[in-house]
Amino acid sequence: MSGPVASAPSSLRRSVALVWRTLRSMRTAIILLLMLAAAAVVGSLIPQIPNSPQRVAAYRVDHPFWAKVFQAAGFFDAFGAWWFALITTLLFVSLVACLIPRSRAMIRAARAKPIHARELDAFPAFVERSVTLPPETAASGAADVLRRKHYRVELDAPGGSVAAEKGALREIGSLAFHWAFLVLLVAVIVGKGTGYVGHATIVEGYGWTDARFNYDGDLRTGRFFGGTFSGTQIQVQDFQDDFRTSGIPMDFSSELTLSAPDGSTEQADVRINHPVVFNGIRIYQFGFGWAPIVEVKRGDRVLFDGPVVLGQTTAPGENPLAQPWVGFVKLSTLRPQVAIAVRLYPDAGAYFRSLATGVPQPMTEANAPFMEYEVWRGKLLDNSLASLDTRFMHQTSRGLIGKGWTVDATRGCVVSGTSDAIPASLAGVTCPGGGGPATLSMAFPDLRQYTTLQISRDATVPWVLAAAILIVLGLLPALYVSRRKVWVRARPDGTGSILQVGGFALQRKDRFDEEFASLVDAVTTAAGGAARRASEEVSP
Amino acid sequence: MTTASWARLSSDAFNLALFAYVAAMVASFAYLAFRKERLHTVATVIGVLGLVANGVSIVTRGIAAGRTPWGNMYEYSSLITFLVVLGYLWLIEGRAKVRTIGGFVYGMAVLWMAMAVSFFYVGPTALMPALNSYWRQIHVTSMIVASSLLGIGCLLTIVYLIKAPAERRALERMRASTPPPIMGGAGVETSDPDAPPDYAGSADEPVGSATTSRKIGLPPSATLDALAYKFIRFGFPVWTFGVICGAIWAQQTWGRYWGWDPKETWSFITWVIFAGYLHARATAGWKGTRAAIVALVGFASLLVTYYAVNLWIAGLHSYAT
Repeated sequence: MSGPVASAPSSLRRSVALVWRTLRSMRTAIILLLMLAAAAVVGSLIPQIPNSPQRVAAYRVDHPFWAKVFQAAGFFDAFGAWWFALITTLLFVSLVACLIPRSRAMIRAARAKPIHARELDAFPAFVERSVTLPPETAASGAADVLRRKHYRVELDAPGGSVAAEKGALREIGSLAFHWAFLVLLVAVIVGKGTGYVGHATIVEGYGWTDARFNYDGDLRTGRFFGGTFSGTQIQVQDFQDDFRTSGIPMDFSSELTLSAPDGSTEQADVRINHPVVFNGIRIYQFGFGWAPIVEVKRGDRVLFDGPVVLGQTTAPGENPLAQPWVGFVKLSTLRPQVAIAVRLYPDAGAYFRSLATGVPQPMTEANAPFMEYEVWRGKLLDNSLASLDTRFMHQTSRGLIGKGWTVDATRGCVVSGTSDAIPASLAGVTCPGGGGPATLSMAFPDLRQYTTLQISRDATVPWVLAAAILIVLGLLPALYVSRRKVWVRARPDGTGSILQVGGFALQRKDRFDEEFASLVDAVTTAAGGAARRASEEVSP
Repeated sequence: MTTASWARLSSDAFNLALFAYVAAMVASFAYLAFRKERLHTVATVIGVLGLVANGVSIVTRGIAAGRTPWGNMYEYSSLITFLVVLGYLWLIEGRAKVRTIGGFVYGMAVLWMAMAVSFFYVGPTALMPALNSYWRQIHVTSMIVASSLLGIGCLLTIVYLIKAPAERRALERMRASTPPPIMGGAGVETSDPDAPPDYAGSADEPVGSATTSRKIGLPPSATLDALAYKFIRFGFPVWTFGVICGAIWAQQTWGRYWGWDPKETWSFITWVIFAGYLHARATAGWKGTRAAIVALVGFASLLVTYYAVNLWIAGLHSYAT
């Protein structure tokens, strides 16, 4: 074969071999580990889209230039960026490249027997003793001692030679740790990649089905998600919250009826720290809030009838429980369009107490609940239930509605209903002559709570846990077990023999001296005890 | 006793411990400088007193709050200080017989306690339901123990980084002033008459301890390095275990074992750096100074995990402030 043709593949092979060797080197592994750490630093210092999209949006407004740079570099989603994947992949390859030969070597070493040695006095620890038993018995006695001390022993009794080693667990542990780390990474990527996480807001007495469009945009699916949701139906029977009198939350729980598409059902109580697994999904208690049942009618025509999910916007330092709850009813079919903004005070007593004292009181229980409402007319810009854009609207009326009341929302007066808990000066006027056919009436028949559940599917959680346990289990021997080798040789000396013991430890050498000394004593005793004063004694 | 008086007792004991650690730090540094045995005794007595006060503060805090006293940053810091000083007195002074680095340890204890009381003080209260899990106990306990161990390890590494170059300089000076034996000189058998007294004391080990008078000084760098490695080797698996317990707790509470929350991210960064240290220590060319620097970077990362995340970076763990 001509030169250039032959050299092309061989130089390719050489460079592949070089890359492979470089990847296998510990130096590369260390640098990759430190790069991984640096990449994670980026992810923790710069706001991340998956964790806090609002902060990313705010950053884009405040620092348009850097935002562009970070966007281009993928810094806003560091853990999903190509360079993070690249570092992880290289670390992977480096790990595998290092682990495969090491695992092979370990299997070879496990099969091989300890090798006999000739020149024992060359070892760092070496002792020579005269003993009373002949070489063959002395050697088998020494072998028994070493076996009792959990050494792997190779005995050549006629030759009076023993080879023993201990501490293979160190390498086994180290390999288990590294392979487990690899399994962990793979399991995390598969689990997060094929799964999904979202939140379901369900009002007491209502139901919800696990399907894409029921998540209201609050859904994160993995990169390899197949698109199939579990179809689980969740019916919320009841929601319970317990607070201390000081307003410190103690417990939240949702009483659920779960049913799978295959017909199986289950009653479940989902509480903080006590998720429920059903039909392949995990259900967590995530949040809660108030949802008044509101009925809006024009004359006899029902325009809206159902729960209004309320939320809160709390400034830092404020106790959210002392704040009112806000929500909107949007009537887009009317011309002009109408929005009713409501502000709920669940506990009238606590609210008026805080007005009187100036000290915010937590409103944790429904106690004569009432709402302030504002009616806006004009053009609705969106259908969001959490906000109202009033740029193309004007406010036409406002008023107050207690639970069980009916009000005339057009005029802002009360059609029916009273409450002892609300001061008469605030309760509003009674409508003169009732409502006409063109007026908008609103009723507040009931106040319920809603629960927010986090729904997630992650198929590899048990794998991740198993790998994590293996990481810890492997780490301990990898760091603490030391590999030790000991040899014993006995050669005839009169009726007894001269016993030589040599050995060394690859790790924790400071501890080996002590162990070696007691080993020598035990071996000497097993060989019949010292015949006379030891002819020579060398210790390290 | 009422809750309030337990809380007051806890605060008083905390302040007493802080003052005791300051005094012990001064006495320890004085011992290092003036080498009077009595100063060491004084430092030890005051240090033990501080440790007892620190322990009393933690226990009474637990009584006042009606739960285990590791529920927020203030309490973590107090406990870490306790464990660091305990670890020093028991393992370093007691077991390893290294007695000259106390000033650094007490200095760290003082910093840690001062941080706790100035940035993180909160009264003893009950915990949010999200924190009510036995995994919390295991997770927090392991993280505190691991931080204490890694903290001591890094303190030893700092002293190592002070000591190692001094030793190298001393060795070079000795080589320059006395030719090696083969060239007719007496080698290490003769001590350098021109060497400053502190050099003879601080670098006695590697340059022939037989002839240089054995004076008190920082321990030899090899001892410091070996001790630092022991502590980090102990702390690393505990940190690993703690992070895993945290993940289990997160799975239970937040529905995901890992979400790159800043605290999680930084605990991972710290883990990765210390993993790098353990690898570096077993690699030729990285052993010694380079590995020591990796350990210090790891410790800086640990401090960020503990403090900066709570102070400046918002996340799910922010309840702890």
